[in-house]
Amino acid sequence: MWTLENLAAGAVYFGLVMYAVFGGADFGGGIWTALASGPRAREQRSKLFHAIGPVWETNHVWLIFVVVTLFTAFPKGFAALFTALLIPLVIALIGINFRGAAFAFRHFGRQTGEQIPFMVSIFAVSSILTPFALGMAVTATATGKIVFVNGWVQAGPWFWIGPFTLVGGLTGMAICAYLTPIYMTVRTEGELQRDFRRQGIIAALVLGFLTTVEIPVAMLDAPLFASRLLSWRGVPFVAMSVISGITTLILLWRGRFQWAQIAAVGTVTLTISGFAAAMYPDLLIGQLSLSAAAAPPTTLRAFFSVLAIGIIILAPSLLLLYWTFRGEPNPERNP
Amino acid sequence: MDNVLSARALMGISLGFHIIYATIGIGLPLMLMIAEGLCLRTGDELYHQLARRWIRPAGVLFAIGAVSGTILSFELGLLWPRFMAFSGPLIGLAFSIEGFAFFTEAIFLALYFYGEQRLSRQMLFFCTIILTVAAAVSAVFVISANAWMQTPAGFRLVNGTLADVHPFQALANPAWAHEALHGTLAAYVATGFAVAGVYALALLRGQNSDYNKRALTLALAVASVSLPLMLVSGDWSAMTIAVQQKPKLAAMEALFTTTRGAPLYIGGWPDPATGQVRYGIRIPKLLSYLAFRDPDALVEGLDAFPPGTTPDPRLVHPFFDLMVASFFIMLAAAVWFWWLRWRRREVPLDKWPLRALLLASPFGMVALESGWLVTEFGRQPWIAKGHMRVAEGVTPQTSIGLVLLTFLVVYLALNVGLLILLMRPASTEEVPETTQGNRHVDT
Repeated sequence: MWTLENLAAGAVYFGLVMYAVFGGADFGGGIWTALASGPRAREQRSKLFHAIGPVWETNHVWLIFVVVTLFTAFPKGFAALFTALLIPLVIALIGINFRGAAFAFRHFGRQTGEQIPFMVSIFAVSSILTPFALGMAVTATATGKIVFVNGWVQAGPWFWIGPFTLVGGLTGMAICAYLTPIYMTVRTEGELQRDFRRQGIIAALVLGFLTTVEIPVAMLDAPLFASRLLSWRGVPFVAMSVISGITTLILLWRGRFQWAQIAAVGTVTLTISGFAAAMYPDLLIGQLSLSAAAAPPTTLRAFFSVLAIGIIILAPSLLLLYWTFRGEPNPERNP
Repeated sequence: MDNVLSARALMGISLGFHIIYATIGIGLPLMLMIAEGLCLRTGDELYHQLARRWIRPAGVLFAIGAVSGTILSFELGLLWPRFMAFSGPLIGLAFSIEGFAFFTEAIFLALYFYGEQRLSRQMLFFCTIILTVAAAVSAVFVISANAWMQTPAGFRLVNGTLADVHPFQALANPAWAHEALHGTLAAYVATGFAVAGVYALALLRGQNSDYNKRALTLALAVASVSLPLMLVSGDWSAMTIAVQQKPKLAAMEALFTTTRGAPLYIGGWPDPATGQVRYGIRIPKLLSYLAFRDPDALVEGLDAFPPGTTPDPRLVHPFFDLMVASFFIMLAAAVWFWWLRWRRREVPLDKWPLRALLLASPFGMVALESGWLVTEFGRQPWIAKGHMRVAEGVTPQTSIGLVLLTFLVVYLALNVGLLILLMRPASTEEVPETTQGNRHVDT
């Protein structure tokens, strides 16, 4: 169980969860910028922009962490994944690129006193596109449609489009759209807080619906994944994520926002954990195991030594960042 | 277009852009640190204002640097999966350390940029220290991965598979030390001159504020301290390359045939058909002296290596000369400025020295880009020298031409947008007094 490659897989899993929980919320901010409605739509957008500003670049680094960990610890798996998933990853990259640029351009424009509405729409569209494409790419690894022929990966150019991955992409979007308004309820008051609460409840219902639908879809489109998810290893996570999701809804309904925030993080973490548990012990389901994809033990040990030092530096720095920019989203005002 | 060529073009364009943003991300923190430190030390608020005014355009450039860096980390797998399957266990460590350094940089950048109202001055200064260190660390380690491609180390190949993998030996590969030193210093020179150019232009336009003078002095000081070190580290690099990467040296210096007492060619066009350098200035025995400190030393030319294993000198020699020429252009402009500054004990406002600085200001970036091109074109045809050719590392996916086209459009949109944005407020931005008067500050 505690083999080097399992620990390295744990690092990839950890990076994915962190990216979903932190980076996902920034994409969610873009999604709700597009969906903001009602009399306070402007204020909603403004709060979202302020909240994202100081943290999105840091949150984004978790994605780079996942990529680097993959090619360091699972070079063969990385090569296979990035060969087979060329198209969805290119789409995600375009989205990442325009999202970052549009946000930075808009921020710069605001500081020099110019409003750039065009940038806002690019920001919103690319915030929707990226988690959708990434969701499809991640779930494509569970379809079993990436196969090896003569030791090299083979997959059709459009294999990654199917019912299972489409729902996977939507789930990626829903995870982002779910976290943001719930985080924002903690950082706002009054009418605005009620707006975010309502958005959180809607997104929670959508996420619940999508993850529920994904199970029968998986039985048809990704049978091996479905059978593993519904085995003793996956079922506890499925059950816990359902409980956590319902708990979040109740807490949101009753206005216990601090607790709802924690429960929402739990729901997302458990959903990803369920996915990871069903994938285990494979990187590409049924085709490439973690141990077959792993780098030599010397590399993995060296990676862990770097990881340990990295965490010692990173953890207090991250705490300082989130502590400094807690509360009131506008960094120019006091928390 | 051919798949390998498309992949090379895309990787090259992506890196070419990223290098500019990454360089500013290394050089600017040092200047921020010096400015904030001077403010704390002297109590002069102007230094703090100086630093705070840099962060607005810098914020955009850093953001573009972060996304262009993400594009690169993806492209390693999208374009070169076979190379990464081979080298991942070896160069992954360098990227992991670089990743953590970049993480730290992103965190303290955000704290410094957005934390003005929530952090103390001492804390802001502390952020710039961490920023400067983290940026330098990330440069030094990402260069290790590049150096590994030039001088692969830390493994053995047994029947085509990796054996005896030593990631720390791979990290500390032979080319790392000189590449890391030369490359990181280059970032300080390039950023210093680029920033100095902006303020030279402002002074030329008659905006003789204290602010502009001080910003020019600070930026140029950072560049000028690093500039002589570039010469020393460059000399060390050349001497090391003469031992470790002989075909690259031959291509850099357009030396076709192995020669005792080899001459140095300045400029000129190397013609592989005739094995001659046309139109170049020939200085006898200088190459032997520079490479081995012996005017009669034997220098191996391109003919000393099997055909098909050496780089094309037409792609290497001109960029090498451009890099060296850029150095002398910057040196001349800097010496002129500091000479007048020393004689008059104040920033000279004469037209010509400022024009010289303005002219020299892009040459830090030019030198950096051409030095990088020398390194990479000089490595051809290998992706990992002696072990894997570029064509063996490329993806088996066939539609890379289309991906190249897509990213060309993306980069075009990005850079046009960036230029429009940075140019538009430039006229008022250089004068803080009026800017705050008639421009709306973010609420």
